[in-house]
Order: sequence, then C-alpha cells, then structure tokens
Amino acid sequence: MNRALNSTYWLLSGLMSRVASAAALFFLLTLVSAALLVDVLPIDPFAQRLVDALKGPSATNWFGTDELGRDIFARVVYGARTSLSTAGAAVIIAAALGIPIGLVAGFFGGWRDTVLMRFIDVLLALPAILFAMALIAVLGRSQMAAVIAVGITGIPNFARITRARVLSLRKRDFVTAVEAFGGSSGYNMFRTILPNSWSPILVQVVVLCSVAILLEAALAFLGVGVAPPTPSWGEMLRTGKSYLYEAPYYAVLPGVVLTFTILSFDVIGRALATLLEDRHDASGAEIERTTP
Amino acid sequence: MKLAEETATTGPVLSVRGLKVEFSVSDRRVPVVRGIDFDVYPNEVLCIVGESGSGKSVTSLAVTGLLPETAQIEGSIRLGGMEVNGADRDVLRRMRGEDVGFVFQDPGTTLNPVLKVGRQITEGQVALSRLRRADAEARAVELLRDVDIADPEQRVRQYPHQFSGGMRQRAVIAMAIAGQPKLIIADEPTTALDVTVQAQVLTVLARRQAEMRAAVVLITHDLGVVAQVADRVAVMYGGRIVETGPVDAIFRSPRHPYTRALLRSIPRMDAGEARLDPIPGQPPMPYALPPGCAFEPRCAVGSGRPRCRTEDPTLSAVAALQQAACHYVDEALPPAKVHAMAKPKPTETTAPPLLEVEGLKVHFPIKSSVLRRTTGWVRAVDGVNISVRAGETLSLVGESGCGKTTIGRTVMGLVPASAGDIRFDGQSMVRLGRGEMRAARRRMQYIFQDPYSSLNPVLPAEDIVSEPLRIHGLYEEMGGARRVAELFDMVGLSRGMLGRYPSEFSGGQRQRIGIARALILEPRLLILDEPVAALDVSIQAQILNLLQDLQAELGLSYLFIAHNLSVVRHISDRVAVMYLGRIVEQGTRDELYDNPVHPYTQSLLSAAPDPDPAARHAGRRIVLEGEIPSPAAPPDGCVFHPRCFRASGRCSVEAPAFQPYSGLSTWTACHHAGPLDRKSATLAEVSR
Amino acid sequence: MIGFVLRRLVQLVPVVLIASIGVWAMLYAVPGGPIAGLVGENATQEQIAAVTAQYGLDRPVVVQYLDWLRRAAFGDLGISIYGREPVLDLIGQRLPATLHLAVSATVVALALGIPVGVASAIYPGSWIDRILSAWSALALGVPTFWLGILLILWFAVDLRWLPAVSGYVPIWEDPIASIRNLLLPAITLGVYVSGILARFLRASLVSELRADYVRTARAKGLPERQVVGIHIMRNALLPFITIVGLMMASFIGGAVVTEAVFTYPGLGRLLIQAIGTRDYPLIQGCIVVILVLYVAINLAVDVLYAYVDPRIDYG
Repeated sequence: MNRALNSTYWLLSGLMSRVASAAALFFLLTLVSAALLVDVLPIDPFAQRLVDALKGPSATNWFGTDELGRDIFARVVYGARTSLSTAGAAVIIAAALGIPIGLVAGFFGGWRDTVLMRFIDVLLALPAILFAMALIAVLGRSQMAAVIAVGITGIPNFARITRARVLSLRKRDFVTAVEAFGGSSGYNMFRTILPNSWSPILVQVVVLCSVAILLEAALAFLGVGVAPPTPSWGEMLRTGKSYLYEAPYYAVLPGVVLTFTILSFDVIGRALATLLEDRHDASGAEIERTTP
Repeated sequence: MKLAEETATTGPVLSVRGLKVEFSVSDRRVPVVRGIDFDVYPNEVLCIVGESGSGKSVTSLAVTGLLPETAQIEGSIRLGGMEVNGADRDVLRRMRGEDVGFVFQDPGTTLNPVLKVGRQITEGQVALSRLRRADAEARAVELLRDVDIADPEQRVRQYPHQFSGGMRQRAVIAMAIAGQPKLIIADEPTTALDVTVQAQVLTVLARRQAEMRAAVVLITHDLGVVAQVADRVAVMYGGRIVETGPVDAIFRSPRHPYTRALLRSIPRMDAGEARLDPIPGQPPMPYALPPGCAFEPRCAVGSGRPRCRTEDPTLSAVAALQQAACHYVDEALPPAKVHAMAKPKPTETTAPPLLEVEGLKVHFPIKSSVLRRTTGWVRAVDGVNISVRAGETLSLVGESGCGKTTIGRTVMGLVPASAGDIRFDGQSMVRLGRGEMRAARRRMQYIFQDPYSSLNPVLPAEDIVSEPLRIHGLYEEMGGARRVAELFDMVGLSRGMLGRYPSEFSGGQRQRIGIARALILEPRLLILDEPVAALDVSIQAQILNLLQDLQAELGLSYLFIAHNLSVVRHISDRVAVMYLGRIVEQGTRDELYDNPVHPYTQSLLSAAPDPDPAARHAGRRIVLEGEIPSPAAPPDGCVFHPRCFRASGRCSVEAPAFQPYSGLSTWTACHHAGPLDRKSATLAEVSR
Repeated sequence: MIGFVLRRLVQLVPVVLIASIGVWAMLYAVPGGPIAGLVGENATQEQIAAVTAQYGLDRPVVVQYLDWLRRAAFGDLGISIYGREPVLDLIGQRLPATLHLAVSATVVALALGIPVGVASAIYPGSWIDRILSAWSALALGVPTFWLGILLILWFAVDLRWLPAVSGYVPIWEDPIASIRNLLLPAITLGVYVSGILARFLRASLVSELRADYVRTARAKGLPERQVVGIHIMRNALLPFITIVGLMMASFIGGAVVTEAVFTYPGLGRLLIQAIGTRDYPLIQGCIVVILVLYVAINLAVDVLYAYVDPRIDYG
C-alpha cells in the first residue's frame, strides 16, 4: 500500500514538474470541482429569459446567452458534469471488459485468443461513431445509452494494450518461474502479470478519457447524445451552428472549453507515458544492460 | 618480436591521449571514461578488456566520433595523424569510410533489415565515391567470398534475415574491410555467437586483418578470446586503463591487483578441484565511483588503505612494455584462501538415481501463420537418456538450439514431453495431473539464466523468496519470515535488504535471490539454466562457489545447463554433450575433457578459447564448417555428419547408436568414435 | 502471392459474417422489433400482421437472416422503407461523394502529417520538436466539428470565399467547383488525421533512430542525408503504410461528423438519416457496405505491406 502511495506521489510530482501537464492538471481539477459543485454555484443553466436571447458575452453572461436566453457559461459548466460523468463511466466499462479480455487472450493464446480477438476485430471494423450511433438507435436516446455506446467502443483499446503487455510479460522468466513453482494460471494472471501492467493501462485510461469526451460530444452534435434540456457541449455546438451569423460566440466558446478538456487529458496522458517509460529506463537494470 | 619491429618503422595508426567522456544524465554529469591513453600500431591487435561499466565500448565509439551528442569528449584522438576530437562532420564521415572499419556486437541488429546485404556492404564506399555504383555488386560478391560465404553471387541479393547469425557477422566484417581500412574496431564481435561459429568468425577476421596489415582494436569481456587473438592488452576498470602490456606479460605476470584477481577468479579448462577465488563486491557504476582508486573497495591489497581511498593512481611502467596503475604494484596478492570444504564425492551406490530421463522426445509443432495448420515439427529434443544421482552434478553442454534448455524445462513440467519418461525419486512425472505435478515439483526447483528477467519487479525481495511457500500454502508451516531471513543468510545477502525491490540489486545479488527462492521449498534437485552466463566475470566465481557450498551443505543434486565449457568443467561430476536434440557423448568430467571420443566434443573443446596465450601456439584449432542445422529439418543419418571431419558414407545414411565406448566409462553416438588423431584434425583444417 | 491474398480473404469472411449477425441481432433487440419501425405507432393489429407478412417477418429469425444473407451475397440488400428505392442504389449514389472526401482528406493528412512527423523526429526534444508536437496535439485535440464550425465562420461567413454548405461535384465534371466544395471538409478531416500520422511517424522514426543499424550506417561513412532518407525512412514507413490504410478505411463511414457539419451528402449522413427514420434495410445495408469496404481496404494494405517488407514471407 505504501508503495502505491509513493507511486501516486511520484507521478503527481512528475506531472507538476512540467509546465504543460501542471496546467492541464489544474484545468481539469477546476473543471471537475465545477462539475461537482454546479448545484451550489450561483448560476442557473435552465432559467430562460427570451428577451435576452442570443446576447453576446457580458459581465452578467460571460459566454453570452443562447436562443432561449439561457446563460451559456452556466450551461458549459453543467455540460462539464454531463461530459465528464459520461466519459468516466464509459472508460470504467471499457476497462472492466477490455482488460480481462486482453488478459485471457494473451495469457492462454490458442483458440481463446483467436475467438476473443476476432470479436475485437469486429468492434474495430466499424468506426466508433457509427457503432455508437447504431447502438443508441437500438437503446433509445439517454445518458445511459451514451455511456454504454462509448464504453463498448473503448473495449478494443484496453483489450489490445493489455494483450500486448501480457504477451511481452509472458516471455519473461518471472512469469515462467511462478509456473515452475506450481502457481495456477489465475494466480499468474492476477497476481503476477496484472500488477506489472498498470503503467500502460493507466496511460490508456487517461488517453481514453479524452477519446470518450470527444465521442460523447460528437454524438450530441449529431443529435443522438444525452437528450435536451440537459446541457451538453456537443448539443450546444449543434444548436450554435444554426446561429453562426447572428451569434458566432455561441458555437465558439463551448468549443474552446471542450478543446481544452480534450487537450488536457492528452497532455497528461503523454506526460504519464514519458514518466513511466523513464522510470523503467532509470531502473539500474536497464542502465547496466545498455552499457556492457 | 613483431610489435617492436612495427613500432620502429611506422608511427601508430591510432593514438589516444587523455580521453575523457562524460554523459549528461538528468542534470548529472556521469564520467564513463576518465582519462585514458593508448596507441595502436599497424598489423597489431589491441584487446581492451573489462567488465560492465568499465567504459570499454564508449571508448571505441568515442575514437570515431560515433557517440551521441549528449556525450562530452575531452582529450586528443589522432587517427593516422589527424585529430578526431572536434573534427568537422564531413571530415569525420570520410575518415570513418576510408580509415576505419567497424564490427559491432549483435549481428542480428547491426544490419538494416529492409536493405539487401550486398548494397549494405558497399554503399559506404559508393557514397564516398571510392567505388562506382556499377562496380558495387561485383565488389560485394568479392568481399563476401573473402569472408568465406558460400554462393556469394546469390547472397548479395538477399536480405539479412535470410542469413544465419554467423553469416551476418561475416557480412559485417566484409562491410568493415570494404574500404581497406587502416584500423578495424570490433566491439564484442563474437559475444552473441556460438563457440564453433565464434572460432570461424575470429579466424576470418584474423586472416583479413593480416592481409591488410590493419590495426585492430578488439573490445571484449572474454579473457579466452583475449588470450587467443591479442598482441597487446589494455585492462579497463571504472573508466580507466588499470594495466596494459603484451598479452603474454598480462597473463603470465599481471601486476595490477584487479588483473591478478580477475585471472584467478575465472574457471579454467585445465583446472581441477581448486575452488575459485572470486573478487568480492561488484564493479562500480559510473555514477557511483569511489573517490580514490576505483578498485579500492574490492582490492585485496589496497582495501581500506588511506592512499588508495583518496588518491587515484596513474599508469606507470612496471616492466619494459607493461604499465599498471596501482600504488602498491610490488605487493603480492595475498594467497588464495584455503577452503577446506572439499566436495564429498557421491558414493557409487546401487540406489536408483534421483532423476531419470529415458527416451525423452520434445517436438514442437510449426504452425502456418494464417490457418494455424501444423506444417512440420521442431525436434528440440529427440531421444535423450540422462540420470542424476543424489548429490551429484550432471551438466548438459552444447551450443544454442541443441535442446539443453528444453530438457530442463520439460523435466520441470513447463513443456510437455512428446515421448519418453521422466522419473523423479522413482515416480514417473509425465502424464501426472495438475495437483500431483505440483506436489512432485516441490522437491525440484529451477534457477533461470537472466537474473534481470526472472524476478517480479513489483515485489520486494522478501515476497519473491517466499512466493513458492505461499503458492503451496506452506508459508506458516515452513517458518515464514524467519525461514526467508535464514535463506538470505545462506545465500550471502544481508537481512537489511529484505524489503528492497529487484531493481535495487546488482546482477549477482539478483541471482542470489533467485537461488534463495529455489531453495525455500527444500528441494533435492536444482535445474540450473545457464545460471552465471548473464553475470560479469568477477561475479561468476562468487555464484559458482555459492552453488558448490550449497550442494555440499544441503546434499543437493544439480542438473546444470551451460554452454561455457570452462564453467562446466569446474562444477560438474559428469557431463553430457548435446548436438541438435541428441546426446552425442556422455562421461565423467575428467574422462570427457581429457579423452573426448566424439568429433563434435573434440571440436567444441578445441574451439573454446582458453584463457592462456600459450595455448594458441600449442595445437591447431579444429574449425568446424557451417553452422548448426535447423532442428526442424535435421540431416539424415548422423545429425552431425555435414560438419564432421570424420564423416564417411555410412554417416549420412545410418544414425549411430548411443553406446558405451570401450576402455572408458564414456558413452557416445558415433560410427567413428576415437581419440583425436592430430593428423585427421589437421587435414580437416587444411581442406577448408 | 495469390495464395496469400486468398488466405487473407478467407480470414476476413468470419469478421463480416459475425458483424452482419451482430447488426441483425441488434435490430431485433429493439422493443417491438423492426415492425414497430415499419408501421408507425398507431397501427392496428391487421396492419401489423399485413406488414409482417409482406416483409416475411413472420418466418423464424434464422431463416430470415439466411435469406437476407443469400440475397446480400448477390448484391441485393433490400428496398429502403423510407425512400422506396433499392438500398444498394441509394448507397451507390452516396459512395462517390464519400470516396472524394476520403481521398482529398488523405491528401491533406499526408501533406501535413509527414513533414511535421519527420521534422519533429530528427532532433527529438529540440524547440522545433516541441512546437510541432504541440501542433499535433492541437490537431488531435480540436474536435472536428468545432474546427469545421471555425472554418465556416472564417472562410464562408467572414471572408465569403467558400461555400458554408458543401455539395458533391464530381472532380471530372468541374474540378474547380469540386475542389471549392471539398476544401473545407477535407481540411477539417485531414488536420485531425495529420495529427495521428505525425505522432505515429515521429514515434517510429525516433525508435528507428536508436536502432543499431543506424550506428552501422554512420560508421561506414554514409552522409546523414542517406542515413535518415534511406536507412531510417525505409524502416519507419513500413508500419506507416498500415496506419494510412486504417485512416482511409475509417473515412468511409467515420466521416459522419464532418459530413454533418458541412451537410455533405456522403455515406455517413445517409446512415444518420436511416437511423433517424428507422429505415432498417437501409441501416443494415449501410453498415454492411461500410464494413466490407473497411475490410477490403485493410486487406489491400496487408497485401501491400507484405509486398514491400522483405521480411514477410507470403508463400
């Protein structure tokens, strides 16, 4: 446990030591707290004042107002809740299903690998957005449908990353050693291989967060995401696009927040990947071996 | 003497003065080479020898400006009278192409996989306009022929993956000599190769070098190779040259305590029971060098002496052509400690052996990549009988692909046997159920070759060692933490290290953890798969001694798998030599080494470089032709006949039976078994 | 070589089959099945029964699927409920538009991605690398639909240079009009993909730069231009082929969002419309066609890869 705490501290301090990832972390923390606190903040995303419809940014309405006179800033903040909760739940689904698939396929190989990976191939053969839309067409439009659709399209990422990791670890002697001592396959998979696979999985979680947010927004933009009046970023861009001539800020400002969110996850994901890779390189073993 | 006469007529090809190389690693400057001087003359082979972290490879790269830009280089490097350090890019490039040829360590990665071999051999010369593009292919064919590659006209148009390891290294040599260089730098050129292939490659390199009268700098950790090929030797330690001199002087009368200790620590082909005398501790890492003499902490002469701790000694003359960097050159090394613990010989009994392997075959299917159909079989092990008695060491020795590791893994139950029987303590192990297999395995444990790969990096040492107990549910029953601590004492690790993770240990320490882990279930048999092959020379002796002590103390039996013939001779009671999935000769250690009767054993023993320069003048080496065939398509008849110098028509049709050889306790599988007849061996070499 | 292609084709059959079963299963999972979509909400029992019989939906599901599969194999994907036209004709009208967009977006992606990837890889960690890597991150992070909106705002609303709504004009009929229509959607899609390509190319170039054969190439006196241009590029471009192929394949159906932004008449928008009107034969048809094309492009890439990489033995 102590080691897990140490690792977390080490990763956080690693992220904070770089300007870009520190800024990204700060932005996401702000966003998450805003999404959590949206009910107690003095803003109202639902209040309509038709007289104030499509007013530009001002001191009272920082991001202006929409076609029903609702405060766009408040709706952007509320949209963060929609976006982050959908993406978070979807990533959990993807990880919960994808990691075991990758573990089993990589560890046992043979027919289990063939069957599972064919299934993954099928998931991959259809562009994620189409797959999600078809699924939502079946399930009906709701946040749950968006979560399931986005989650399922993320399964291949986890399955492939995990499988690749398992395949490379499978050749390592410490995995063979457990087998030699009589350890069962389950013991080997969950006690030996999985604890050695957290680095790539963690990076994948962060990367997939940005993909899921993008996908959720795209679905809402196409009109099949979370149903209105619940604010969501994609939905706001969709409506805003109809008012490009009258109110360009309507489609531009929510897009800025969306872009910053995606970029932040991306920056953190890449920083984590570099950090974890460096740590691997920095272990004495690697240095010793590269200087024979 | 060759050396003196060359020096008199010409100046050095390469002259290095005060070379320092530092790397910047995360804001720290790590000194890897710390001020070295050396010269190399035409037609001379200088061997730079050292362990990991000694700076030998970095030196070779610095000499031609091939180091990455993170390296800071100080000092003077003159090649053919021209300064390399600080030279202009184009000048350097021209110099590399015209004056220097390179041979790198791993032939598997030094060639570009997607370009044809012929093109790669000559493109440097073409780029420097020293060869016309139209003539390039003809020249490549000529060069390949020069390095003994058969059918060079076809080979130039092939890609590296179509070449075997030894052929690739010869292609690299062809590339190195393409420009008729004045200097050839070879960085561990044979480390990745098998002994018989190493002999071929060294022979080719020596022949071409002699023809061109080129100077050679050969970097290696293998003292056997040094003794066989060097004219002069420079011993590196901790980024410095600690001793240099003619090869005979270095091996006969080494003066630096490190050189002396190193030579004393290596097992020898001719040595008997004598216990090895290891160097304590481990080589220093470049970022954690001791303040004074880098060797001081491990030195039998200077350890703890104030002068050695504070002042780094400089090279000074100790004999006519020999220099050493030591404050106390004249003090003799204390004599090797006398270890009374002689190994009790296993008594000849009629009791059944602990491990019996009978008619073992292990065949792996070759699957086509697409439809997973079985298109053939790799006969990794093809009919092997061995037995290990209680308390003895049986070694399986052979080159890569001979099946020795597969036998170990099959005995351990990691690989299923295709045919035959494995009996452990009288109980048959094949076709056992999972649970029975688990119980049976308790008394049999495995030690892996690579200590960097065999320990789970996310567990502390304590948990790694106790993992077998937990798996078998015996943690409390067998003493838990107390038992782990006892084992730490037994393998020579301090109890303070219990909570550390594998990355915090050195290679030798990791191997000790691996040994402790294997011992915790109180096994009777250890299967040791190349347990010292990945370790530095000075660490190997420590581990070998530990293994011998443990065997005597606990009455263990060892199935020892190795390719290093000196190590095998040192540790074994009996030896089995394998070739292509079969045992070709088996006998007691001394009989097999002193009177080998199978031609393969004879070639193997003669190809193994002996760390004694006198040996190279004594007998001529048998250099086998070709390389080991694929176990997927073994030759008909005797599998060794295509490479054998005694092969007759009978050998290509009739596989010889494995039977006792009269007059010795040896068993062998050869139609023409017999002591090495100097004449036939010489004939074999002449016929090449 | 022919054997290799055939074997790869055989391997692809199960993927398409499983996917088509999946699509069927999915549509049958809708409450009320496809009939509810066919007859509308206020249908009487008689109407439902009539429609059910008309479309053969009273037969067992397996029989229906096999029947559909048999016809699909001969190119008959059924009749669109909404448009009353053969599904294949509807798809056939949209496919050229989609291919136009796919090809032009690929051109943009390669033109932006390759120089950025190569330039940032040559001196890893330099300021040029940082700037170009930030550019790649931006290309990937900016949602395509938002970028599309920004481009429309600028080039169509402000400058009035290009149309805000992109129609389909075949390039062989009127090249200038075709390019004017395609430019904004192609940039929108291409910029995003150029980010993926640049990142991938940079990563594979950087790892190749560390390879041993690079040191060998330098050691024999090759000029840096040849070391990078021939030795490294040949190795790095091999996996790059696969990525470019995957991207092109994903444009066939995956350009839905871009098509929506510019109301471009591609295959993706046809599918959205079909989903909106619950036009089941059309949904099935679109998905199957997209799948088959995706799989076919992948196959082409595999074959090309095996052909260019000397290490792959396709015998």
